[in-house]
Amino acid sequence: MKISGNLQKDVAAFKKLLPAEDILSFDFVSQKGLAFTVLFADPITDKELLGEQVIRPLLRYEGTPKAEDVGKKITSPEKRTESDLNKLSEEVLAGNPVLFFEGMDEAIIVGTKKVFVRAIAEPSTDVAVKGPREGFIEDIKINTSLVRRRLKTPELRMDFLNVGRRSDTFVAVCYLEGTTPQKTVDEVKQKLKEIDIDIVPDSSYLTHFLASRPYSLLKQIGTTEKPDIFCAKIAEGRVGILVDGSPIALTAPYLLVEDFQSSEDYFVPPYRATFTRVLRLLALLVAIYLPAFYIAAQLFKLQLFPIKLLMTISGSIRDIPFSPSLEMLLVLFVLEVLNEASIRMPKYVGMALSVVGALVLGETAVSAGFVSTPAIIIIAFSGIGLYAVPNLIEQTSVLRLIMLLVAGSVGTYGIILATAFLLFYLVTAENLGAPVLAPFSPMVGRDLRDSLVKYNLGSLETRPRTLKSKNKRRLKHE
Amino acid sequence: MKLHKFLKTVPMKLYLILLAVILFSFFSNDFGLVDIQKTAIILAAGVDKTEEGFSLTSQIAVPKGSDRAQGGTSSVNITTQGETVSDCVTALFGKTGWVPKLVFCDLIVLGEEAAKEDVISYLNYFLRNEYMPDNCLLAVCEGKAEKLITSTSAIDDASSLAIEKLFSDAAEKSGKVMTNTLKDFAIDYYDVGKSSYLPYVKMSPQKGAIPGGDSVGSGSAGGSGGSGGSESEEQIYTAEETALFAEGKMVGKLPAEQTLALSLLEGNVLAGTFNAKEKGKPVTLTVVRNSGGVSLDMKGAPTAKLTVDVTCRLCCRGTTAPIEDISSDAVSPEILEDAKNVLKGYIEGLWNTCKEAKCDVLELKRKLYRSSLKKYEEWEEFLLTSVRPDISADVKSMK
Amino acid sequence: MNKISERQIYFFLACIAPVAKLIVMPARLAGYCGNDLWLPALFQFAVQSLAVFCALLLAKRGKSLYDLLADRTGTIFAKIVVLLVGAFLLFAGILPLLEQKLFVQGVFYDTLPSILSFAPFFLFLAYLCSKPLASYGRVFDLLAPIALVGLAGVLLFSVGNADYGAILPVGASGARGLLKGTAYSFAWFYDSALLLMMLGKFDYKKGMAWKGAVCYLAGGAAVVFFLVVFYGIFGGTAVNQFFAFTKTSKYFSGFTVLGRVDYLFIFLLSLASSFYTALPVSGAIESIVQAFGQKKYLPTLLSVFLAAGYFLLTYLLDFRFGDVMRAIAEQAFYLFPAFALLLPPLLLFLLIGGKHETA
Repeated sequence: MKISGNLQKDVAAFKKLLPAEDILSFDFVSQKGLAFTVLFADPITDKELLGEQVIRPLLRYEGTPKAEDVGKKITSPEKRTESDLNKLSEEVLAGNPVLFFEGMDEAIIVGTKKVFVRAIAEPSTDVAVKGPREGFIEDIKINTSLVRRRLKTPELRMDFLNVGRRSDTFVAVCYLEGTTPQKTVDEVKQKLKEIDIDIVPDSSYLTHFLASRPYSLLKQIGTTEKPDIFCAKIAEGRVGILVDGSPIALTAPYLLVEDFQSSEDYFVPPYRATFTRVLRLLALLVAIYLPAFYIAAQLFKLQLFPIKLLMTISGSIRDIPFSPSLEMLLVLFVLEVLNEASIRMPKYVGMALSVVGALVLGETAVSAGFVSTPAIIIIAFSGIGLYAVPNLIEQTSVLRLIMLLVAGSVGTYGIILATAFLLFYLVTAENLGAPVLAPFSPMVGRDLRDSLVKYNLGSLETRPRTLKSKNKRRLKHE
Repeated sequence: MKLHKFLKTVPMKLYLILLAVILFSFFSNDFGLVDIQKTAIILAAGVDKTEEGFSLTSQIAVPKGSDRAQGGTSSVNITTQGETVSDCVTALFGKTGWVPKLVFCDLIVLGEEAAKEDVISYLNYFLRNEYMPDNCLLAVCEGKAEKLITSTSAIDDASSLAIEKLFSDAAEKSGKVMTNTLKDFAIDYYDVGKSSYLPYVKMSPQKGAIPGGDSVGSGSAGGSGGSGGSESEEQIYTAEETALFAEGKMVGKLPAEQTLALSLLEGNVLAGTFNAKEKGKPVTLTVVRNSGGVSLDMKGAPTAKLTVDVTCRLCCRGTTAPIEDISSDAVSPEILEDAKNVLKGYIEGLWNTCKEAKCDVLELKRKLYRSSLKKYEEWEEFLLTSVRPDISADVKSMK
Repeated sequence: MNKISERQIYFFLACIAPVAKLIVMPARLAGYCGNDLWLPALFQFAVQSLAVFCALLLAKRGKSLYDLLADRTGTIFAKIVVLLVGAFLLFAGILPLLEQKLFVQGVFYDTLPSILSFAPFFLFLAYLCSKPLASYGRVFDLLAPIALVGLAGVLLFSVGNADYGAILPVGASGARGLLKGTAYSFAWFYDSALLLMMLGKFDYKKGMAWKGAVCYLAGGAAVVFFLVVFYGIFGGTAVNQFFAFTKTSKYFSGFTVLGRVDYLFIFLLSLASSFYTALPVSGAIESIVQAFGQKKYLPTLLSVFLAAGYFLLTYLLDFRFGDVMRAIAEQAFYLFPAFALLLPPLLLFLLIGGKHETA
């Protein structure tokens, strides 16, 4: 629907499009008698800026009723004209006021959106002792600025898309032209364009559409809250995706090994980085397998315990009313509930909850003979191991449960078979042309230099081959 | 189209069915499952010969509960009888309801009577059992194995644990004991020499010992003739003698000094002691280095070369000595000469015992077989009777 | 994922194929030829590596076995041969399957478990075989270090406990024993037949045939060394030691403090052997797909059907492993050299003839 030039009629038509009560209008007349109406969304428009940059200058306007002349009087740097009422209504909903005036078939959109942003802070996940502390926030503009500040190159491209029928969420697809394979960029953009969803409250909504196996238990899209990691991943040849309203940025293609790497690994000596990466892997394996092997050993293969440990365990579980597997499941259930509750609860209650969890549930349950001490130790150790790789917590905790169920049913062989299943599933998983388990399978020799082991920076001359970057070399020696 | 739609949902349905099956088996917990609570963890077994067949005394570990202050391992001894060893194990299940598990059985003791017949005729039960660790220690005891297993140890919670201490690496290096495992015994049995050895365990009452025994009692099932009255008296064990076996039967015994000689010939001794004489007074020497070996010379008349090379230091002198003498480890030539003769005597004794028992514990047949199949076939029957010993012992002093 | 790389083929030949020879074969060889058990194995690896050489040379044209044969002999003959190879692989797959079952029951449990404990393997088999044969390529990448670490760990814990003199005198079993050992161990050597089904799934690279043969020989050398260690540890009782790789390492003295750490390596090897057990079935499915063309859901349906069939077979033969092994390894042993030793050079000969014709 186009603007007619009749102010009263156009304003009426606009109000019909946006009948909500928080859409306000302000009428005023210039010195020369030219009538103006500003339409704006009350909660998200900066009214002070509107008064300063639009209304005050126009009250003294003496020129002709032409959009070009009126526009010159408006002191806001963000302004443009539009004649389609639907598009104008979208702008108002985005917080940008629209200025109508008599006799003109175009309206002026002014960029005086009120932006509510929290300060840039260190993200709660991806914490690094050494290295940058900045984290993304919910505002996409600030997030893009954080990226731009780190990649001051014309090759950095940010293609903007809108996703969500109702939310119309702003999505930025970031990549380095000439480095990121164009095929990957096009595929990501195509997938984003094809999304037909109502609203996109968070970037995690998009992962479902970007993944090649949407129902997969395992991760297929990388996530980060830190701009330094985001930029490093883009520089390796990945595509980065920023979503308005979400502090979590997405990166693709995703390789499993990414989650064993931390930004800090690049700021500490390589031997230390290698050590911590291997430690993370071991911690993850302990988290997944320890409860399962404990159960399998107790039920099916006592030989896995040294005799002295076996006698200690045997003594501990003698009066427990549950079977070993059920006992372990129970303790795991309590741990998951405690974990969930402690995340959601207000902080001051959380402290009390820890005491309740640790003392009442743990100590009392043992002395009451509900559960045994080894079971609590095993689950506690597994629980700690889980947090060594924070980006994989969701997947790991489900895998731990699966392994536990399998171990309680079939024993050690079940664990081996479930692992074989998992490995086969992983080696066959691909997303955006990159195998998830690379550089281990398929083995990419050179990429192994920054996998579980971390070579000196001087040895990492090329970008990961798995990502098929066009620009292969990232470090040139003298 | 319909089929395609159906097939598309098949994986999800299969996952759900699989999950249901896993959950069912998880909660039902019964696929031939024998968990720790239903298990008799056998720490040691004693085999005796009875008129009807065999009697098996099993020492079963019993957990003490979660109270850490108690510590240690307590045990219960159960004796069962049957025509075969397998019957005895099955009887254990029948009488106690516990499923016997042999995976932690680290010791099998054979009663003296049982050792006099081909032991593999009943030990094959353990060899056949896939769940039995064949590296468990094997020993013969004086009298009945049941008496030994059910005895109360003066030094440990369970008799089997105390006996196992006799067979530690350190004990073996002292030359005081020759240990053997079920696997190695079986290898020797099925080898050309068909000879082996086992430590011979004796027990004797110990007065004023540390109260250690924590056997919660001994039971007898299957009509065993009681478990003896030995529990009340604390016992200590020795295994300085070694039983010789030929074709699976116990054919002789090596006294302590011949056990040492066998250890020295195997080059095992690192901290063993033996006595020599100095002006008629005893002197104790400690072996600090030992190499030894047996080789066969088939040129002319077959000769077995038994060589022992020992470096030792003075450990204790039977006479008073000035402090300068005590500070020195060196052994005088006179003592060394006597030590040589002592060791030669031990080895000679060993040779004679083996020859009398027709036991090829020195592996002469094996050596000949490995070096020349043709000569082995020629000498197989007469080797042990016609071979002569050539004994040499070299004793050096630690400088 | 549609292609197996050169490296993955080498990994298969050097690291994964040898693992399957370490379960029951050592004890059987010890039974046939005592301390000479390593000699038939050495011979088998030597001749099998020649067959591997020929099979890899066939990959030069980049065509599947069916296409190669169809070009030269027509589609009907090609179908017959390919299906025969598939049937052979199904037959050959029975022995490792039953080995795997016994192995699982003997090693993963303290008491004899229900047969249902092994049932999940058939789910795995169905899942694995429903995927294209080429997806094994990446599995080889992952399994090669796993198998290598597993075998190295087991050997490390074993070498110190062996009496290497036990393999003397060489030739003690006599010509009869050696012949028996060689003939009856054919059942464990059909890797070149597996390679035949992989033709067309990998591209031939320069020198690949001899490199592959060398890799196979290297894996063979590890197996032969293992056999020596195995006999050195068990001597005359080796014949009784089924599931060889789970047995040799348990005598390591360090375990008194740590418990059975060697199980970690045993589990790694069993992981590798689980995949190898599924390989003949995948090869058989590939043969059917090649003969009848790629149809949607065909591999999935076949894998479910074959896994169910194998499950039934395992159930029926639950306590007849000895009979089955004798039937396969002793009575029908000649099938193995026919398909795994003679077929690859024969096909190569045919192909060379074809080359002349087209030239």
